[in-house]
Amino acid sequence: MGNDARRPHLRSPEDVTTPIPFTVIGGFLGAGKTTLLNRLLTGATGRKLAVLINDFGALDIDGELVAAHGGDTIALSNGCLCCTIGDSLVETLLTLLERPEQLDHIVVEASGVADPGRIADLAMLEPRLARDGVIVVVDSGDVQQRAVDRRVGDTVMRQLKAADLLVLNKIDLARDPTAVRTWLAGQATAPIVEAQYGDVPAALLFGLDQLGTTHPGGEAENFRSWSYRWSGPVDRAALLAMLTETSTDVLRAKGIVRFSDSADRRSIIHMVGRRIDVSEDGPWRGDAESRLVLLGARSVLHFLERE
Amino acid sequence: MNTVVYSARRILTMNPNQPFATHVAVRDGRILGAGSIESLKGWGRFELDDRFAGKVILPGFVEGHSHAYEGGVWKFPYVGYFDRTSPDGTRSSGLKSIDEVVATLQAYERTMPRDGSTLLAWGFDPIYFGGRRMDLADLDEVSTARPVVVLHSNLHVLNANTPVFAKAGITRHTNVHGVVKDERGEPSGELQENTAKFMAYRAAGVELSTLLSDGAATWGFAKVAQLAGVTTATDLHNTLPESTVAAYLEASASVDFPLRLLPAFAAFSMSPDDGIARLRELAKKNSERLRFQLVKIITDGSIQGLSARMRWPGYYDGTLNGVWNVGPDEIDRLLLAYHRAGFQVHIHTNGDQASEVAIEAVERALATAPRWDHRHTLQHAQMADAGQFRRMKALGMCANLFTNHLFYWGDVHYAKTLGPERAERMNACGTALHLGVPFAIHCDAPVTPIGPLFTAWCAVNRLTATGRTLGEAEKISVAHALHAITLGAAYTLKLDEELGSIDVGKRADFAILDDDPLAVAPVKLKDIGIWGTMLGGRIFEAPRT
Ligand SMILES: [Zn+2]
Ligand SMILES: [Zn+2]
Repeated sequence: MGNDARRPHLRSPEDVTTPIPFTVIGGFLGAGKTTLLNRLLTGATGRKLAVLINDFGALDIDGELVAAHGGDTIALSNGCLCCTIGDSLVETLLTLLERPEQLDHIVVEASGVADPGRIADLAMLEPRLARDGVIVVVDSGDVQQRAVDRRVGDTVMRQLKAADLLVLNKIDLARDPTAVRTWLAGQATAPIVEAQYGDVPAALLFGLDQLGTTHPGGEAENFRSWSYRWSGPVDRAALLAMLTETSTDVLRAKGIVRFSDSADRRSIIHMVGRRIDVSEDGPWRGDAESRLVLLGARSVLHFLERE
Repeated sequence: MNTVVYSARRILTMNPNQPFATHVAVRDGRILGAGSIESLKGWGRFELDDRFAGKVILPGFVEGHSHAYEGGVWKFPYVGYFDRTSPDGTRSSGLKSIDEVVATLQAYERTMPRDGSTLLAWGFDPIYFGGRRMDLADLDEVSTARPVVVLHSNLHVLNANTPVFAKAGITRHTNVHGVVKDERGEPSGELQENTAKFMAYRAAGVELSTLLSDGAATWGFAKVAQLAGVTTATDLHNTLPESTVAAYLEASASVDFPLRLLPAFAAFSMSPDDGIARLRELAKKNSERLRFQLVKIITDGSIQGLSARMRWPGYYDGTLNGVWNVGPDEIDRLLLAYHRAGFQVHIHTNGDQASEVAIEAVERALATAPRWDHRHTLQHAQMADAGQFRRMKALGMCANLFTNHLFYWGDVHYAKTLGPERAERMNACGTALHLGVPFAIHCDAPVTPIGPLFTAWCAVNRLTATGRTLGEAEKISVAHALHAITLGAAYTLKLDEELGSIDVGKRADFAILDDDPLAVAPVKLKDIGIWGTMLGGRIFEAPRT
């Protein structure tokens, strides 16, 4: 996604009570969580991320990017923060929320054996956070083996089932990529995104906060964002069915929609992978134009263009 | 050079060359010798002190697995099922129903200022209440004007009243693990997971870890240990923030501090590189009464909490396997780092799969970095079987078994979590002894009260709270149990050359008892009165109530 600040944001900057999107990245040790986080931190432009990780040691941030390093927090020159979790994730998170910086997104790296779904629960209890997605990174090379390991197999399966979105990483190293993908699709309902070195688009992880502009794409070649707007009310069931039916291909959706069954109120759609949340957001002001942004694979775009 | 010879009814030394004595000579805080008055005369002038002439002296008890939180919790009312002694020696009676708990809290509430401050209580355990759980209405009867939080004895679960739930914003719509709902779908008042609990603490304005580990808590812990005859105890999992270290340094600097305290550094709280550096730095501050030298790794959860990692066939009642706090890969990584750096690592393993993973981690660490006399110790190892004990022996590992569990949760393990066979063999002291695995036994205070004689009683009698005997073959003799709470425990802390027996040159640390543990009926072992302790030659009499 672009980073043009003039585009309208779903989170209006003057509304300081808007909760901060909260993403949990799960997956086993060695799956590539840190590589992915590295890319996000150093590649972030304009978006102020705070990333909570288990161990700085695994991180590889260019020294020039480090603005300040104080104990358990690294401040980057691009405005991002990186903190180590230490003994208590909840405490670290609450301390972070007390900081003066305005954060655009908080990402937590779950420990290798944690159930990322439980960590995402934090956002259900903390009003300053909005649960975004649970993204589980999977090592193509060894996930099948780990899934049957008597010591960690059940932990792996819990993680896969908790995922809203699965990143099938190191796909270039898989002996039989199709076989892994098929196996994974049989284990969990979340859509699967393939990646090498954690090269997934930032928008996939951090959402589509720009609305109202059609994008030419520009993400990794397998992904496109697609923006859609219309003026009349739309049938709730039909729209949700469309998203659900294609939910294996639509990876993310964000929108303000006028549903025919509550035409006077704004409905917010937030979808990450297999998870769709619809919430009411007060009355329409000005033009009641529905806006929806999707991120997905190329094939989905064709489908939507036909609609 | 002042020498005092203490006479006693009997002295049990744990020194096989001279297991029993009538006199012990103390000089400069150390043991000059033990034997008869005749045999001690050769050391020169001494002062004879007969105040213990009717007492029985043992080496000071060593509690290898406790937590200093035990000293902090006493700032708050105790509402547990079993009787329990506070640091000042007063005894709180066990509360036998939820109504009794509510009544006790109501009475306490009336003594509190009317300022809306939080009422926090601890030690609650509903397992003997016929399935009835505490709910919001129970605690609302205590107060709706202030937050009320009741911590369960396992420290993993809490109950709170409506003001706490309202402030935390927990409603029927809160679909979060650990928020227990009743049959109508409303929150019942019980919170089970860290996340939910933390929100309740915050709503109630409770900073638990700070409340439980300040200076007063450190003193409280030493005092409650002293009452039980303990002269050396661990605080076996602490992230050691500056505030806690400062509290420990200050308390232990006083000669009146009645305990040798060994905190174990929580390995998972920072990267091994940072942790090793921090521990080495802290070790420079070591003194007679404070030692930074232990490292702790927590692998799984607890058996009664159904979060222990079990091997096949898993939980008796079919509950899914528990969770890893630190998974196998991380255990390997942390253990190897601290092992290489020369530290002794204590590994919490409740379930038998956790024990297996820990044993294999030690095996790999030794293959990578051979090392003698590491004494890495499995803490709890409650479900370890003979095969695992054989591997521990072969690898030079120790075990610290949680025999108090047999009494407090033995019935639940028999009926629900483990089933008869594994409940019978749990905390297998007999097997450890036969196979020659050095072992200690422990209380895990504040999970169960600190009291090595009670812990020894559990190892000897293996009786549950309802009177069932668990595992005749795993019983050990009183003499072996006494060894496990003195020299045996000292060995698992690498302090056996310094303390743990009454022998020339060792620290003058004694437990002073009213009766002879080897003379009373084994089933009366736990009832022996404790007069007090001696620590480095200083006498600490226990307050009597
Ligand atoms: Zn433990
Ligand atoms: Zn413990």
